[in-house]
Amino acid sequence: MKVSINSGACMGHGLCYGLAPALFADDDQGYGTVIADGTVPPEHTDAARKAAANCPEGAISTAD
Amino acid sequence: MATGSLPRINTDKLPMPEARDDSWRKMGECPLVDVGDSIAVTRRDLVELVLKDPALFSSKKAFEMLGSPLPLVPIAFDPPEQTRYRQILQPFFSPRAIKPLECDLRNQAIALITPIVERRECDFVAEVAKVFPIQVFIVLFGLPLDMRDQFVEWKDAVLRLGSASGVTSSEVSVEEALAKAGELYEYLSELVRTRRGVVADDILSRVLNLAPPDELSDEEAIGLCYLFVLAGLDTVADALGFGMQRLAENPDKRRELIDDPSLIPAATEELLRLDPSAPFTSRVTTREVELNGFTLSEGSQVMVYLSTGNRDETLFPNPYDIDFHRPENRHISFGLGAHRCLGSHLARLEMQVLYEEWHKRIPNYHITEGTAPRVLWPRGTVGLDSLHLTIEE
Repeated sequence: MKVSINSGACMGHGLCYGLAPALFADDDQGYGTVIADGTVPPEHTDAARKAAANCPEGAISTAD
Repeated sequence: MATGSLPRINTDKLPMPEARDDSWRKMGECPLVDVGDSIAVTRRDLVELVLKDPALFSSKKAFEMLGSPLPLVPIAFDPPEQTRYRQILQPFFSPRAIKPLECDLRNQAIALITPIVERRECDFVAEVAKVFPIQVFIVLFGLPLDMRDQFVEWKDAVLRLGSASGVTSSEVSVEEALAKAGELYEYLSELVRTRRGVVADDILSRVLNLAPPDELSDEEAIGLCYLFVLAGLDTVADALGFGMQRLAENPDKRRELIDDPSLIPAATEELLRLDPSAPFTSRVTTREVELNGFTLSEGSQVMVYLSTGNRDETLFPNPYDIDFHRPENRHISFGLGAHRCLGSHLARLEMQVLYEEWHKRIPNYHITEGTAPRVLWPRGTVGLDSLHLTIEE
């Protein structure tokens, strides 16, 4: 699985890096960024789905 | 503005003071509602559509209608001007910037709660919820703590002024409120003048010392402070009051937090979902637009209902239940899109810290017999008039 953030849609709610700190980090502005290339280790797939489902802007995608 | 075909609701007559859930249920029955001088947008997908299109639904024009004498930075602007302000200000309010304040916030919360443990009773709204955010503001902006009560007085006057149209004139002395707003403006103006060029750690000093091209003019900096006072104090107080009321009335839910304090962040979100203290936000159309088959002419005011957007059954099963275990909680109490609440990270931290420290010390409490908290209504932001709590053994 891979995660990605549509940076045009992200408004810096900050939920993704709060819910899944292994997959997402914050930048200086508080916008979410994907760590490395966004590949999700198997133990973090639930966290990835949770982050995507809780993004208020719907800015996060997951792809298998 | 043609409103003939829409259902009409007089929002002033909603049973908000004692039954806010019923009020939101009624507002959410139809996707668009004629509420007199504007159209209420209540269905989630339409709410998202409006908030994500600032070019078509302008926040700037909505604030122009209010006639603020100050540039309320950044909410009274639209992109791209607003984008510049956000980029300048966001680093000061990001989770990374807010996190170091946690210890100080926690100590302030403990200092407010400790005397109540002894006394076994309190008005939570007056003694905790209203005081805490003002103290945080004072520390953040590097102001003397003895200004606290003065700020309460100024803020209350300014907020009364903002809601004057919705309150009977006998309750409000507009002249008095205007005079207080003038005092606040004078104080902030003087503050901005004396702080500029002084190196210090507080947010205001750092904002005032930004290098070009990020520097803010005196007027912009005063507007930012003014907006912080208007938007950042009562909103947190009101959310805390509502949250504690629900916890007081639902001991089974409260027990979950006592048994597992790691649930508090999720509980904070759920309580925020149910009770956004700014339950609707205003936009004005920049041209003619069709919304759900209804034509809005250019310059129409729409009230975007976050409270009903938070009760969409497809997103939130059993939306009127309190559930601290929702796998998804895409509530929009902090708004959506370009104007997402700048202070959301600070507000979240304030609420989480307060719920944590309170329940460590006071796990069992109930609403004092013979008292009933009431929502002050009609208002642009909503909150309880009081919340008398009795602490149980």
